[in-house]
Amino acid sequence: MSHLTHIAENKENLILRFKIIQWIREWFNANGFLEVETPIILRLPGQEPYLSPLKLNVHNESDKGFVGYLHTSPEYTLKKMLAAGFGDIYSLCKTFRDYESFGGTHNPEFTMIEWYRTGVDMFAIMNDVERLFAFIVEKFISVIPSEAEGSPSLSQLPGDFSTSLRSGRNDIAGGFERIHMRDLWKKFVGVNLDEYLTKEKMFGLCVSRGYKPEQSEEYEDLFSRIFIDEVEPYLGKEKPLIVHHYPMSMAALSRQSQADSGYAERFEVYIDGLELANAYCEITDADVIEERLKTEKIKRAELGRDVFEVDREFVEAVRCMPESAGISLGIDRLVQLFTGCKNIDDVLVLPMSELMNQ
Amino acid sequence: MGSTTDIHKGAVIRHQNNLYVVTSCQFVNPGKGSAFTKTKLKSISSDKGMEITYKSGESVDTVQVERQNMQFLYKNGGFYSFMNQDNYETADVNEDIIGEDGKYLKEGLQIIALMNDGSVVAIELPKKVQYTIKTAPPAVKGDTAGGNVTKVAIMDNDLEVNVPIFIKEGEEILVNTETGEYGGRVGTN
Repeated sequence: MSHLTHIAENKENLILRFKIIQWIREWFNANGFLEVETPIILRLPGQEPYLSPLKLNVHNESDKGFVGYLHTSPEYTLKKMLAAGFGDIYSLCKTFRDYESFGGTHNPEFTMIEWYRTGVDMFAIMNDVERLFAFIVEKFISVIPSEAEGSPSLSQLPGDFSTSLRSGRNDIAGGFERIHMRDLWKKFVGVNLDEYLTKEKMFGLCVSRGYKPEQSEEYEDLFSRIFIDEVEPYLGKEKPLIVHHYPMSMAALSRQSQADSGYAERFEVYIDGLELANAYCEITDADVIEERLKTEKIKRAELGRDVFEVDREFVEAVRCMPESAGISLGIDRLVQLFTGCKNIDDVLVLPMSELMNQ
Repeated sequence: MGSTTDIHKGAVIRHQNNLYVVTSCQFVNPGKGSAFTKTKLKSISSDKGMEITYKSGESVDTVQVERQNMQFLYKNGGFYSFMNQDNYETADVNEDIIGEDGKYLKEGLQIIALMNDGSVVAIELPKKVQYTIKTAPPAVKGDTAGGNVTKVAIMDNDLEVNVPIFIKEGEEILVNTETGEYGGRVGTN
């Protein structure tokens, strides 16, 4: 009965969750986007070395089949669609990542919205994020007062962000702060990140700040050691924050900045110390993509993860893809913010932790 | 020697020759780059806390502990007394070991004691504990308009909790012992 109890206990959170999803669709549909679906089962999922796609066997009626994977994001398919001439599109879907915590800010099955605009750079996507957010806040405030008016339905007390909104501080979502990663490190770590863009330099910085990294660590791991401890917990506390321009070693599939060649055109959104979204101005150079995917494939093997071929069709899609920018935003975490739930489990109908206990 | 996969709330870790209990741990996977586990640790011998972030796969010196069901009896001076549910013996635990968790204890509450070498080194509280509201200020009309959606109520064991303004004296509520936050009314769902 614990599943039923879980649903009953979190009913108010879940209602708010489904309303938020409705509002998100409303905003995108009103702003010229087309909602699309992508297959969840792929043969060649994303190559990100630190993500583990869930593996499954698929069979036809004659018992012939193949090894497939559940997608870790709809990114490759959406980019193939852009290459085939789709314009501004979004997919609101379930995504899957194995070997992540059951509860906290992760659940192996989670909900994401990923959207793309063609012919724009990442600043247009930042504008989308800000406008979408303002829209959700406006809707949220319009439903909250009636529930808070002595009604027993408000079963969950809000967290910081949620508290601010519920107590009328809707200015919190009025303006986002935008900050260059270099300025962020100046502010929190007190160093000029330009001088720490290589693995060797970042290693030295880690050691000088009392961390004990191993020699073999990659740049992004060294970066994360400092970022996770000294920067991230403080982000987006006063107002939502967009951190833009990541060191080139952390470019993933984002484009190198022309004006700022040590950095990539990538940004993330933080509210209340929680990372909500990750965006790129997309690379459209197929050769660069192919190189990065091959490197990632080698890294997967080194890390002992499942290795699969580079998706050649994805590489070809990038070759024909128009200039575009895109973002993926975690819906569960967004709902956590509005409900004030510290544990993602409380905004899920059936969290993985409940399945584990069955 | 264990690794980061052995870290969980209540695990005991040896760090620089001292034993620490993991009081909270959070898995962080930035997606691009390795995952990390952020931990909050409390020393077993003092109330001193510290935080360590481990990179996934790093080796962690975990210490085996036994888990024993116990029931809270009462507090006497600087000691909390518990009854072992298997042999009905009483265990007196120094308040330094219980730390902040002490405020959630109430007579009869079932907890799990972590035992090392026959002594209690830490306790684990249930995630949600039920209390009866002893006192709560009445809701005042206009509170919500003024932005006040919560008020401080006192539980039957003197624990103070922020509750929604509609909660009244004598009602039974659940409190989340990890966050200290209100976790819903009992029996209204």
